[in-house]
Amino acid sequence: MHAIGTDILDLGKSLRAGGKRGAILPPHAKAEEAGFLLPAVEDPASFCKTNFGVGYGTDQHQELKFAKGTTTLAFKFDGGIVVAVDSRSTQGAYVASGTVKKVIEINPYLLGTMAGGAADCSFWERNLGIQCRLYELRHKERISVAAASKLLANTVMQYRGYGLSMGTMITGWDKTGPQLFYVDNDGMRLKGNLFSVGSGSTYAYGVLDAHYRKDLSADEAIELGRRAIYHATHRDAYSGGIINVYHVQEQGWVKVFSGDCNELHYKYQEEKTARMAM
Amino acid sequence: MKAQQSGPVPSIWSTEGAARLGSGATVTTSHDDGSIDHGVTQAPYERRFSPYDFNGGTCLAIAGKDFAVVAGDTRLSTGYEILSRNVPKLCKLTSKTVLASAGCLTDVRTLQQVLDMRLRMYEHDNGKEISTPAVAQLLGNTLYYRRFFPYYAFNVLAGVDDEGKGCVFSYDAVGSHERVEYSASGSGQAFVIPVMDNIVGFKNRQDPKPEYTAADIVAICKDAFLTAGERDIYTGDAVTISVITAAGVTTETFELKRD
Repeated sequence: MHAIGTDILDLGKSLRAGGKRGAILPPHAKAEEAGFLLPAVEDPASFCKTNFGVGYGTDQHQELKFAKGTTTLAFKFDGGIVVAVDSRSTQGAYVASGTVKKVIEINPYLLGTMAGGAADCSFWERNLGIQCRLYELRHKERISVAAASKLLANTVMQYRGYGLSMGTMITGWDKTGPQLFYVDNDGMRLKGNLFSVGSGSTYAYGVLDAHYRKDLSADEAIELGRRAIYHATHRDAYSGGIINVYHVQEQGWVKVFSGDCNELHYKYQEEKTARMAM
Repeated sequence: MKAQQSGPVPSIWSTEGAARLGSGATVTTSHDDGSIDHGVTQAPYERRFSPYDFNGGTCLAIAGKDFAVVAGDTRLSTGYEILSRNVPKLCKLTSKTVLASAGCLTDVRTLQQVLDMRLRMYEHDNGKEISTPAVAQLLGNTLYYRRFFPYYAFNVLAGVDDEGKGCVFSYDAVGSHERVEYSASGSGQAFVIPVMDNIVGFKNRQDPKPEYTAADIVAICKDAFLTAGERDIYTGDAVTISVITAAGVTTETFELKRD
C-alpha cells in the first residue's frame, strides 16, 4: 500500500541531509539523516546534552524537564528470569505519574525495561519491536535475545553524545535458554545473570545480593524481586507507586504480580513485628 | 573593586536574556564611587537567543465511563504581561478527539497543524476516521521525532475510544505517554492535580468512590480552574470546556477572574 509520503512535512530541509522520516531508522543513519531535526548551533551534540538531557538533579537548569523512570531489576535463575519494576515517573521534583508501565512488552517472548528517560526508552524499544518483527518475517524464525539487544545497542550508539538517557534490560527465552542483557545509552551491552538499573538500584542490589541463589524456586524468586523493589521504593525518593513483576518462562513471559508498594510496606511491617516477637 | 561570586550560573535559556560570562560565574562588582557594575563593562559577556517562550496556562482532562471532559484556560501571557484573554488551548482533531496544549503558543499551533495534516492523510489512506488511541501514539511519535529540539508543548489528549469509553492520555515534552484517568499540564498543573487525585482519583480515601456523570465532571473542572486561577498568575480570564461522547463534541465557556 502506497501512502502519501511524509516528505511534504519536511520544512527546513537544510538541517536534514535528505533521509525519510519513516518508522524504521536505519542503523547507519546519523541523527540528521534519520530525520531528527537538530538545533542550528555549532555543536548540536553537546548543546542537546546540556539542555535536553535527562537527569536526576542535573536538569535543574533546564527549561524542559523530561519524565524519568527509576528502579528496575532482573535476574536469571533455574526457573527462568524474574523482572521487577516500580512505576513512578518524575519531572524534576514533581511526580508526573505513579502508574507508568516500565516493563515494555516488545513481543510475547521478549521484555524490555525502562530506566532513565521515559520517552527515550519507550520509543527505542518500540523501534526494536519493529526490527524484531522484520527479522521474523525475513528469517522465518524468532530473533535471539542476543541479536535483539545488539540491534538496540547499535541503534542508540548512533545518537551517542546527544543526551539520550536509557538504561534497559532486554530479556527473553530463546533457543539458547533464558537470556538477560543490559543495554544503555552509551551503547554499552552486557550479558549477565543479575542487573538492577535506576536511581534506586543500589538499594535493590543490597537485597538481591543478600538472598540471590541460582536454585531459587519460582515463588521465592518472585518474592525476592518484589522485596528488592519494595526496599528501593522505601528509600529512594524517585521510586514508588505500583510494583510490577514478570516471570519469563520457556513459552513466553507472564505478569505475576502488580501491587501497591504502600500495601506491601504494611504487610512486611507485620511480618517484621511477628518475627521480632519470637 | 571587590568581586564576589553570587548564586548559581544563570540558565542559558533565560528569556530575560541573563548575561553569561565566559568564566561561567556571575560577578557583581562595585566601583570606587559606589555604583554597582554588573560585570558588563569589566569582562566580555554573552547573551543567548532562546527560541522558547512560556506563554502560560493550564489544561485538564478527565475520562469518564462513556465520555471525556477536557478544559483549558484562555489566557495568553509572556513574562509578567497578559497578551490576550481569549486564546483557547483546545483543538478539535477529530469528531472524537480533542487535544489541549499549554506551553509556547507557536510550538502548540505548529504541533496542532502537523497533527491535523497527518490525520487528514490517515483518513485519505484508510477511508475512515482515526481512533483516539492511534492519535495518542501518533502524537507521541511526532513529539519524539523532535527529541533534539523539542516542541515546547505540554499536551493532554482526550476522547472516546472505539469501544465508546472515555480515554485521556498525558504526555511529557518529548512524547512519553500513558493512558490515565485524568491529567493536567501547564503552569497550574501542580495546583489542579492534587484536587484531581483527591476528588476524581479518590487516592488514599476509605469512603466509596461515586460514579460521576459528565455534568458532575464539568462542575469539578470549573472548581479546579477556579482553584488554579486563585494561586497561579498565568491561569485565569476564561476556561473552554469540551465534553466528548460517541455522539460528538460540545463546548462551553466559563468565565474566571481577570486579575
